[in-house]
This record gives sequence, structure tokens and C-alpha cells, in this order.
Amino acid sequence: MSSKEANAIMRSAAWRISLWASLAFAIGTMLVFAMLHRFVADDIQRRSDAWLSGEVEVLGDVAKRTPKDRLYRRVVGEIAELASREVPNRQRSSGNENDAVFFLQAGDSGPAKLWVGSGDGVANLAAIRSTRVLPDVPFDVRVLGFGTPFRVASVRIEDGSNVYLGLSERDELHVLRNLRVRFLTLWVAIVLLGFVIVFYATWKMLGRVSEITAAASRIGQSDLSSRVPDTPGNDEIGHLARTLNHMLDRIENTVHQLHTITDSLAHDLRSPLTAIRGKLETALASDVREDHAESIVSAIDELDRLTEFLNTSLDVAEAKADALRLSRTEVDLDALVRGMIDLYEPSMSEKGLGVQIRSSGSVKVFADPALLHRVIANLLDNELKHLPASFLVCISLRADDHTATLIVEDNGPGFDAEIGRHLFQRRVKGRVSRGHGLGLAFVEAVVRVHGGCVTAVNRHEGGAQLTVTLPLCEAQKQEESHALALLNG
Amino acid sequence: MRLLLVEDELEIQSFVKQSLMDAGYEVHAAEDGNTAALLAAKHVYHGMIVDLGLPDRDGIDLILQLRKSGVTSPVLILSARRSVDDRVKGLELGGDDYLTKPFAIAELLARMRNLLRRNSPHTEDASRLRVRDLELDMLKRRATRGDEVLNLSPQEFVLLEYLCRHAGRVVTRSMLLTEVWGMRIQPDTNVVDVHIYRLRGKIDTEGREPLIKTLRGIGYVLKGS
Repeated sequence: MSSKEANAIMRSAAWRISLWASLAFAIGTMLVFAMLHRFVADDIQRRSDAWLSGEVEVLGDVAKRTPKDRLYRRVVGEIAELASREVPNRQRSSGNENDAVFFLQAGDSGPAKLWVGSGDGVANLAAIRSTRVLPDVPFDVRVLGFGTPFRVASVRIEDGSNVYLGLSERDELHVLRNLRVRFLTLWVAIVLLGFVIVFYATWKMLGRVSEITAAASRIGQSDLSSRVPDTPGNDEIGHLARTLNHMLDRIENTVHQLHTITDSLAHDLRSPLTAIRGKLETALASDVREDHAESIVSAIDELDRLTEFLNTSLDVAEAKADALRLSRTEVDLDALVRGMIDLYEPSMSEKGLGVQIRSSGSVKVFADPALLHRVIANLLDNELKHLPASFLVCISLRADDHTATLIVEDNGPGFDAEIGRHLFQRRVKGRVSRGHGLGLAFVEAVVRVHGGCVTAVNRHEGGAQLTVTLPLCEAQKQEESHALALLNG
Repeated sequence: MRLLLVEDELEIQSFVKQSLMDAGYEVHAAEDGNTAALLAAKHVYHGMIVDLGLPDRDGIDLILQLRKSGVTSPVLILSARRSVDDRVKGLELGGDDYLTKPFAIAELLARMRNLLRRNSPHTEDASRLRVRDLELDMLKRRATRGDEVLNLSPQEFVLLEYLCRHAGRVVTRSMLLTEVWGMRIQPDTNVVDVHIYRLRGKIDTEGREPLIKTLRGIGYVLKGS
């Protein structure tokens, strides 16, 4: 798996959900285990304490009753030895020597009176004496040289000495450690397995959401006919898909209605316009007086302007409703703008305007070339109509990561302050303009339908600046391939 | 030359028919697709003008049906629709042309002539174009008038070439925009006129007979031989 894919997975919601779910599961099971562990540890201790207390009682009794003669050491020693063998399932640390149990009889001070166990017992006695002891309650003693502490029960006999019986906690700790190790291994396995299962399930589930997203993003790019895949099942995602499709039906319907209205409006207006224009032309062709001809020609001009207004008006209306029909292809903005400048340059220099282009090569966008032609023609027409002679129009084109930016600026007087704010609204035009005032509204609408935006400002150093941004071809493709990847993933 | 005009709006049909007849064509008119199909089966037409919005069927279907039955004459499509059908684009690639309503009669005539000429075989030296004393060397991209070499920009050369190829016939501004600049736009300003004006300044120098004529409100003509 490449790091890119890994990144994509780590950023996915499925990853985060499974991470949190696994964390909650892990903490929960850990708490339960901790309680169980404590319970088991307490129980083991209770059992060994009970044994110790009983045994030390017996040994104390024996020590008390046995006459303090030559044989005392042997008798008590033997019994202690026997008692230590009673400890069930004892594991020896090394060799046969029993270092798990010791018996010790000693006074409050001085050397031990009797020692049964491995070694000489000096360390044990020292450890016991340095421990604060509560009578009749077994206590823990750490003895130098032993890894594990001893549990020691004591009883005081009449001659003033204490009888201690110590039992190494090695075995208990060993059992508990075993328990912990096994649990932890199993725990890690279960948490990992749980993570994988949760991740798989949510990934699958969210995959369906991604399908819906991908379909919705396709639809967003003006393909209103496609639908979100209808998932079987009556769950939330199925509902989402159905709701979305239902909504799309309604949108498609509305857009279709809008198209029908604008189309029939266009058709119904164009036919009589055609007939009127034809009649005017026929009239012009026949012999008419010069002054009549003038008015007919001007009527034809007005008619053409009306037609153009009708067309642009409907385009703007459709574009504002996001319903403009686009036939997109890969367009090189650089070539398109240069072609446009070739067309406009003579008119500009004829009027005394300079024009220059700054571009560092091809900039590909996925757009409708006919509409882009009209957009740029509009911008240049604007400059040509409104900029006084001897100023300079500068057109710069550049491509950033995802967007193409086209800036048309001049060093002229700039936009009128009064119309500056309403520049992109319909029917806004300068006092001197003879156009229908739709130009920039059209530009804005078309650019927006293409997923870009237009801004207009007066430059600090003077002059108007119009900036058009459009998404780059690659960005668009990447978005699509990303959507597709989600779809297939 | 005989033309078939298919248009259901009688007002439009009548003036288009009249203008075509004035221009010297023989015109048969039909109001719907079926009549047009019958007429096309009976007669041979050199060209057709078809409106897309016919009462009984779509104009495109009619054209495709005629094409299927072996009619190869060029078609000028008239459309009052807002968006250009992909199939219309296909026909355009196949050598037919389209015009959106409302149109100028002169535009219609110019385009029709253009189509008819395109369809007739022409024997032309591909590397040289001659109109009167104007000569275009297509390989060297050089133009001369008489003995004088004209100093044209590449753009001006293409424009002149187009005018020469249509010498003696009207070319409209929108024809120039489509064919020379490759864009279907309707500029608010007189950008095409300025190009012609500049070209004229280089070709029709003082003392020579002016070759490029302006037809007001219609377009231009380069005088033919």
C-alpha cells in the first residue's frame, strides 16, 4: 500500500470510528480484568493466610508443649519440616531445597532459637524484625536475597519468643503473572480483531455513503440525469440514497421545466422576430426613399440588439438557476485568449489603446469553449467601449495548484463608484454604455456555472481590474478520480 | 439551381422563398416533414433549408432520413432553439451549416451560396489563389498584388485567403468570425470591420482599383474576376 492510500485510510471516518470503538472496548475490558485480577489475588491471599495462621498456631502449640531439652530442636524442626511439605503444589525455585517455606523461632532480640528452611535465616530474621508487625495478622516481609516477598504469620509463645512461619509469595505472584500475561495476549488479539471487524464494517457502510457522495458530485457537474445507486436494505443509508434521489427528481424536474420555459420563450419570440426582420429587409431591398431606408436600418439594428438581449437574458437566467447547458471539452485558455486578442487588437490600437498579454503557456480548463469565447469577448468589448484612448489593457493568465486565473486590468479611470457594488447585476451599465447592461452579469453567471468566480475592483494605482478564476482541468479530473476511487474502494 | 425550403411559419417561409427566388434560385417550399420527404423523393435539389421545429417531426430526423435515402445535397439548418443539438453539431462537421433565428437574409443567402459552392467540385490549384491581379501563394504564405508584395500578418493572410476563396460573393461578419477566427460570438463592437479596414489599407492602396467592397449592414465582397 502506498503512503498516499495509507493517508487516505487514516483520514477516513471509518478509521476514526474504529479507533474510538476499539479504544472504548479496550478500556472497558481492561477495567473488568483489573477487578477480576484483584478478586483472584485477594482470594489467593486469603487462602494462604488461612493456612499460615492455622499452621503457625499448631507450630506455636508444638513449640510450647515440647520440653526445652536437647530434643526440642529436632522435634519442632521435624514438625515444621512436615508442615512445610503440606503446602500443596509447591514449585521449587532451584534444586530440591525448599526455599518456599521457613520456620523461625526467635526472641525479640538476639539470634534465632530455631531455624528450619534454606540458608541460615539471618536475613529472614533481620527482615522480620525490621517490619512492623500486627499481632495475629499475617504480614509481608521482604527478605534480602529473595526476589519475592514472604507472607509471614506469627504467634507468641510463653517463653517470650515468637514463632514465625513464612511462606513465599512466589507462587501466588507467579499464578497472577501467568493470568496477566495470558489475559494481555488475548486482550491485544481481541482488541485488534475487534478493530479490524469494526473497521471493515464501517468501511463497507461508509463506502455506500461515498458512492452517494461520488454520484452527487457527478450530478453537481451538470449531469442531472444520473442517480445515486439505490442500496438495498431499509437502513439509514438506504433512506439517505432514496431521499437524495427523490430530491434529484425534483431538481431535474424543475430544471427541465426551466429549460422548457426558456426554450419556448426563445422559440416563441424568435419566430416573430425573424418574420419582422425578414419583412424589414424585404422592404429595404425594394426601392425606398433614403430617409426611410435609414429608419429601417436602425429598426433592424434595434431588433438585433433585442435578440441579443433576449439570448443573453435567458442564458443568465439559466446560469443563475445552475441550469445552463454546457458542452464541455478541454480548452486551452492561453490559446483561446490569444485568439481573442488577435481579433480585438486592431480595434484597440485603432482606438489608441494598448493591449498586452502575460501568460507562461498553456492553461487547460474543462469548459464550454463557445461560452468562454463570449465571456472574453464581453470583457474585451467592455474595455473597448469604456476605456478612453491612450490607456493600456493588460491581460494576464496563470495557473495555480487547482485554479486558472485570468486578470483583465487597465490603467484607466476604473469603475464608477456608484455602480461598483452592483457590477454583476443585470441591467447595470455606465451612463455612456449603449449595451443592454447584461455583459458582466453574463460573465459572472457563466463563470460560476463553470465552478469559478469573478471579482471586480478598482486598483490602488488606478484602473479597473477584473479577475476570473476557473478550476483547472487536472483539478477537475482529480476530483472525479477521487470520487471514482471512493466509489471503487 | 433548385432548392427545397422546409419551414412551417408561413410568414418566414414567404420572405425567405421570395429572397431566394430574387437571388435566382428555383425554390420549392414545404410546411412539414412529410411533404418535404415526398418532394425530396420526387425532385433532385441542389440544397435544402430546413427549420428544426416542424409540426410533424424534428427537422434533424428529416435530414437524417433524407441522408439515409441517399440525398447528399447540403443543408442549411434554421433553428429557433437556444442550445445547439449534438446532432446538429454532427451535421455541421459533415459539411452542413446552421443559422439561428432571427437571421439576416443576406446571411442566409451568403451561407447558402457558400454551401452550394462547397458541394460543387472545383478545380483549383491548391498552392496558388488568383483573384484579378491579387495572387496568394499558399505554400509561402505570401500575397502579391500586381508586382507589389503585400506585407500581411498571418491573421490578415488567412482573412484574405477566405475572401479570395469566396470572391464575388457576400461574406458576413459572423461567417468571418466562424470561419476565420473559429468562434461563434456576436461582439458588441466592430472588431471585424477594423480587420477588414486594415486589410483594405494594405491591398487597395491609392491608385488601384478597390477590391474589397462593404455592403452596409450585411458584410463584404471581394470583387471576383
